[in-house]
Amino acid sequence: MAYQKLKTFFGLSWQLAKADFKLRNEGSYLGILWYLLNPLLMFGLLFLIFSTRVGQNIPYYPLYLLLGIIIFNFFQKTTLDSTNAIIRNRSIIKSINFPRTSLVFSIVLKFLFSHVFEIFILFIFCILLKIPILGLGFYPLILIFFALFIYGACLFFSSLAVYFIDLENIWIFVSLLIWLGTPIFYAIENQSRLFTLNLFNPLYYFITISREVVIYNKMPELWMVFGMLGYTLLALIIGFIVFGKLKNKFAELI
Amino acid sequence: MKRIIVNNLSKKFKIGIRANRNALSRFISIFSGRETKKEILALKNISFEAESGEVVGLIGKNGSGKSTLLRAIARIYDKDGGEIITNGNLISIINLNIGLRERLTMRDNVSFCCSIFGLSVKQIRERFNSIVEFAELKDFVDTKLYQFSSGMLQRLAFSIAVHCNPDILLLDEVFEVGDESFKKKSAEKIKELVAKGASVLLVSHELDMIKRHCNKIVWLDKGRIIMKGKSKDVIEKYIQDQL
Repeated sequence: MAYQKLKTFFGLSWQLAKADFKLRNEGSYLGILWYLLNPLLMFGLLFLIFSTRVGQNIPYYPLYLLLGIIIFNFFQKTTLDSTNAIIRNRSIIKSINFPRTSLVFSIVLKFLFSHVFEIFILFIFCILLKIPILGLGFYPLILIFFALFIYGACLFFSSLAVYFIDLENIWIFVSLLIWLGTPIFYAIENQSRLFTLNLFNPLYYFITISREVVIYNKMPELWMVFGMLGYTLLALIIGFIVFGKLKNKFAELI
Repeated sequence: MKRIIVNNLSKKFKIGIRANRNALSRFISIFSGRETKKEILALKNISFEAESGEVVGLIGKNGSGKSTLLRAIARIYDKDGGEIITNGNLISIINLNIGLRERLTMRDNVSFCCSIFGLSVKQIRERFNSIVEFAELKDFVDTKLYQFSSGMLQRLAFSIAVHCNPDILLLDEVFEVGDESFKKKSAEKIKELVAKGASVLLVSHELDMIKRHCNKIVWLDKGRIIMKGKSKDVIEKYIQDQL
């Protein structure tokens, strides 16, 4: 029974994601190129500015920077899109009873597709910089937890956005602050204040662990792994509680 | 077997007087006191049943609570009081909306909508041709829906819904658009489903259609049941009331 429910949930989420993905790339066979262009442009710009200053003491800085950008991109784009998920689908929510959580999970899946393309660029960079690609083979394991963490966050944002109509604008601003506070284009070694702040930043754990594994081919420190697991669990618990409390009123409020 | 049991159902809606949904105004309202809200009772003590193999009509003026009742039965709206029991797979078409996406092709829409109604990929593949044939849209499989007329959309929505194993079918003003021949075909399909043990709840302003196909009728006004019973009797009273 539980297996059947899970199968239906994933099946529906997949179909929703597929439909949204097709709508996003409607009429454009080159649409997928945009997924690659965005992180590449951001990478190119930041690399030009920072590679000779902050990047000088960071080994494999191009990979360090690119991995940080694509991980943050996945989080930011998905959570931002989720602030619209319920309102965008108001007609279907008001007409059919189906698991609303699959609507949110489909957003994670949709951006996971584009994340895979971005990982492909990373793969090419690894080859160009002659980095062993063995570490990249372990990335899917980190990605599972990261996707679950994002799913929890999206459940939270999508349900709150029904009550706070300007949540999208607030989140754009807050996520910009997180972008600046997270060591994406710089390192935080020897900066104790930034380090302490980042202990409360879940993205710090996911980005650092990914870099350790993919770029430096090292085992991540255990406390970092626990941090990653803890934040994933916390996001899922908060997401499900908030979404579960608010979902019954969605159809009336949109 | 009773497919739908509605017992003393009540549903309230809170209507905000002021638009107060952004974060800043919500924050301000904490200090300025709660905003005034008007409460309307959309459904009051509604009770009726639908047996397996029965077509029940819902009639009433606009705003009488027909769509709200369907949404409550489909668990789209939470109830505020009473009880709703449904037995079987419930499929609803409310205002012809089953989630069709107009920028996608009909092929994509069939897969998408059938998934929402709980069909597996294998089941969708098996029923695809039958859905397309019933909707009489064989030549438009790869056409995007924004190029469809409202009649074509209605045929597609109805065809998808009846191919998704409904034990309970909730139809809200589905036959208000579309041609007579498809109405006849749809009525035959409903008869076929009903003969197999399904229950249908049909909301329509077309009294002839309701009279022809419904075993009994529930007449709603301002969220209350004015009358329920045999089709002929209820429609007669309803027409007298409208004059």
